[in-house]
Amino acid sequence: MVEGFFKHVAIIRHSALALAAAVALTGCGDTGVNEPWDPLEGPNRFVFSINRAVDTIAVRPVAVFYRDWMPAAGQRGLHNVVDNLGEPVTAINEVVQGSPGRAATTVGRFLINSTIGVAGIFDVASRIGLSKTKEGMGDTIGYYAGVEPENGGFYMVLPVIGPSNARDGVGLAIDAAVDPFSIITFGISNTAGWIYAGTRFGATLLDRRSRTLFALDDLEKNSVDYYAALKSAYTQQRADVIRQKRDKTGPRAELEQRDKVALVR
Amino acid sequence: MFASRRAFLCLAATAVALPARAADGPAAQLIEKAAAEVIELIKTTKGAQLEAGIRGVLLKYFDIPYMGQAALATHWNATSPEQRERFLKAVISSEARAYTERFSKYGGQTLSVARVSQRPNGVSVVDSRLNQTNGQPINIQWEVRNTGQGLRITDVKIEGVSMVMTHRSDFNSYISSHGGKVEPLIDELEAKSNR
Repeated sequence: MVEGFFKHVAIIRHSALALAAAVALTGCGDTGVNEPWDPLEGPNRFVFSINRAVDTIAVRPVAVFYRDWMPAAGQRGLHNVVDNLGEPVTAINEVVQGSPGRAATTVGRFLINSTIGVAGIFDVASRIGLSKTKEGMGDTIGYYAGVEPENGGFYMVLPVIGPSNARDGVGLAIDAAVDPFSIITFGISNTAGWIYAGTRFGATLLDRRSRTLFALDDLEKNSVDYYAALKSAYTQQRADVIRQKRDKTGPRAELEQRDKVALVR
Repeated sequence: MFASRRAFLCLAATAVALPARAADGPAAQLIEKAAAEVIELIKTTKGAQLEAGIRGVLLKYFDIPYMGQAALATHWNATSPEQRERFLKAVISSEARAYTERFSKYGGQTLSVARVSQRPNGVSVVDSRLNQTNGQPINIQWEVRNTGQGLRITDVKIEGVSMVMTHRSDFNSYISSHGGKVEPLIDELEAKSNR
């Protein structure tokens, strides 16, 4: 998701810390009861309209074509590759979240899928019982922050990426800064780093957009103010993910719980 | 190999256990009845007929006035009875159309009710999963409460996104960008449902 920032990785490392400190100081801001806090609504709506134009002209048509014409196996393959590239960052976040066991599974998945699974195209690890997880620093901050998960700080619309907020934006920046892939490729040369970042960003965007076509079309059609509806839906969806992590009530958590019981037995 | 088989058995066990457990509790039964009715409608009707059927299901199982009031939030008190009536009518039409469109892409999904939890305020929350023929199941939570006419659905949360809450943000934002008046929203909703 974050590869767009890569040119500024060094800068981001500093600014992310500064932002995180700012967020911590202000306690993520006051969001009121239900409506997401949106002090930047003007600029946000501006970026939102540009994003929508770019989406209509370029991103959406490609995503529709991809969904309708790419064989299902190919779509699954690309999705797996994109997810596989995210595993190191997921593992790092799982360590920070205090589940080293889960992180070990993720590292195992990454090693298996990158080799036997041919650069992540085939999710062999899932087939042998290592289930997939996806964690970012946004989830980790939300997990530890002592506020309602609906409260992610101020809402912001990022160019191309779309809906985000202070919590998830800082999370994206930190994830980008600690991603071993970007550190290695940019370590080789700037060109290598850019090729890697650009390719990954494009693949992620295509995969994501083709998977959200139905839901976003639906939301747009059934709202009178698409910006407000999407802001609300994004905030609720992220809060749900973080709340499940805190309460350990998700279907995955239930399975893990059951696994633990089975091991005890 | 071993781990995967265990995981599979776990899943299989849950799948088998679900319908048996789901039978208890009037809230769960309400959801299962509504789902069965909708699936029957999808299989037997199409187009305008389907939309009329969906509208019937909405009126029968959902507490639309309650949801409409919740969606308008503080603006509800500022509306006249005629406005409320027009608003609710437009909401029913647009919801019926939206659901008809969603269901017209139906491809054999099934709904399995997993568990019912009771809230202290008398609301039952019914957890369910929409099992897709391909891909991950979708989590759907139903909020059911006892209204004057028996149990009714008052909110639907899909992967944590509440229908009422999203409409509330949507409507409120529209109202505040149109001089804080409800009338333009009602006009827009009516125009949308006639389109």
